[in-house]
Amino acid sequence: MKGWLTLLPLFLAGALAAPVELKINLRIGDQPLRFGQTYQTPQGQRYQIEMLKFYLSEVALVRPDGREVRIDGLVLADFRRDGPTQGVSVMKMDVPAGQYRGIRFNVGVPRELNHLDAGTQQMPLGVNSGMYWAWNPGYIFYRLEGLALLPEGNQKWVIHMGTDAFRIPVRLQDLQTRRVQINIPPAGGAITLNLDVARAFQPGPGGAYVDWRQQSLRQLHGLSPETSLLMSVVYYHMQSAFSLAQ
Amino acid sequence: MRRGLLGWVGLLLLGAGLLAFYLWPRPKPAVQAEPPPAAHQASPRILFAERTVPVPDDNPQTPAKVELGRRLFYDPRLSKDGQVACASCHKPEFAFSDGGKPVSAGIFGRKGSRNAPSLTNVGFRRHLFWEGRSPRLELQAVGPLTAHDEMGMEPEELAQRLGAIPEYARAFQEVFGDAPTLKTVTYAIAAFERTLLSYNSPFDRYQAGDDKAMSQAALRGLELFFSEKGDCFHCHVGPDFTDDEPRNTALYTVYKDIGLARATGKDEDVGKFKTPTLRNVALTAPYMHDGSIKTLRDVVQHYNQGGQPNLNADALIRPLGLTDAEVDDLVAFLQSLTDQSFTSNPALLPPR
Repeated sequence: MKGWLTLLPLFLAGALAAPVELKINLRIGDQPLRFGQTYQTPQGQRYQIEMLKFYLSEVALVRPDGREVRIDGLVLADFRRDGPTQGVSVMKMDVPAGQYRGIRFNVGVPRELNHLDAGTQQMPLGVNSGMYWAWNPGYIFYRLEGLALLPEGNQKWVIHMGTDAFRIPVRLQDLQTRRVQINIPPAGGAITLNLDVARAFQPGPGGAYVDWRQQSLRQLHGLSPETSLLMSVVYYHMQSAFSLAQ
Repeated sequence: MRRGLLGWVGLLLLGAGLLAFYLWPRPKPAVQAEPPPAAHQASPRILFAERTVPVPDDNPQTPAKVELGRRLFYDPRLSKDGQVACASCHKPEFAFSDGGKPVSAGIFGRKGSRNAPSLTNVGFRRHLFWEGRSPRLELQAVGPLTAHDEMGMEPEELAQRLGAIPEYARAFQEVFGDAPTLKTVTYAIAAFERTLLSYNSPFDRYQAGDDKAMSQAALRGLELFFSEKGDCFHCHVGPDFTDDEPRNTALYTVYKDIGLARATGKDEDVGKFKTPTLRNVALTAPYMHDGSIKTLRDVVQHYNQGGQPNLNADALIRPLGLTDAEVDDLVAFLQSLTDQSFTSNPALLPPR
């Protein structure tokens, strides 16, 4: 009986939910992203980032045995020119304290929410989000915009990734080895992710890349025929653009 | 006994005849003209005026909301550079299309890629945009307001700008009980757009019983329009002469703008665009989704010739074999769908 009582606090500590914040650092390669700073693509095109907004949903922490603690809710991560880019809290959750072998989530809006009448939805969904695609009921999942510094002058470019086919699965977990360890103490804490924004500009198979010298490639939109190949390239790289911060 | 049987049969036949007489559909009596609604003083109610515009539960029509929507519709401050209003591309004198322009100019002179469609009776449309991918006016308006090439506004910027204009701040408070947002802006504009009703063309007057409303040529055109020879009525059907469905009209063999396929990604949707209304069509040149055909006569000729071969071309499109005179008659009929009281209705024009 005495043994049970001594174990009770430990049991409660493990079962009670600890508050956890999900934080994001925006990166360009291994450097912190700064809005307004000029960067260069692997192809030597100079650019600046002006805005990044994306939906994050279907978050789950992965226990050592592979079972998951699923977190309800959907958030809109919103990074603006005049705002911070490092350690930005994008989601709050309550999870049992303990060890986890990873985290997974999707960048995008679950299909069951993506096609509801946007007029009747509340933030972070709805038309006021700035992420609603009027021509095709559904949301922009990942919205990245910036300037291309071209010889003929600065040109705005946008990457608007959406449609159900382009919901980005992010899987930061490792059940086989102990490489991924997320420790949530009873008092709670934070899980910090790095997002390498520049991954979008990596070349794809055959060397295809987002060439801003071509006017038609300055607006990558969903399934537009001129840009669907390059959107697929961006999508491919986005799946590995997130990592756990050390 | 035999006589008795005949008698019963006779009685049964008489009964069936009487039943058929009472149940047989017959022409309805002419619609009695009723006082027109306040927004449509210039248009007497006839025939199709009996239709009621569907209104979504979450955006009921009120006079104050319609009036707010009208002000917003004509206000260029809704665009990034302050130069482009909804009405810049949907001009009342051209039945709310962009008269003469194949594609419209948006902010900073940026060009769109499609022809601005007429908003005649737009409240009845089941799908919006050329590929029909928006289900209602409230959501459709988000497109032009936020599109990079059109009005280019961010939701917050729009809310901030309109909220700083005292008349708008007051009006939104009165109508929606809140400060302006992109959502309430689109709801007010949609309410106004539902009042863009046109049902007083010569064709409507002819339908209502005025035998002299249409010319002889237009009447010949009407017959052709609704005949298998002219074959227009399969797609241009109903009170607004549209089935609201996306179709490939064999305009091109290879489509630069792939139409519905842009949204669905399906090969069979390449080159499909929504059947447009033909009401006021004489005012909405140039034609087709890209404004590539300049005159109504050339459009009729396009269909008369059967268009360009492509895998998705609608099965109904084929060479029609119409003579020049028949093409002229069809054009005369299409011209009889013009409602001058619509384009001059003060309730639909810019507020003073």
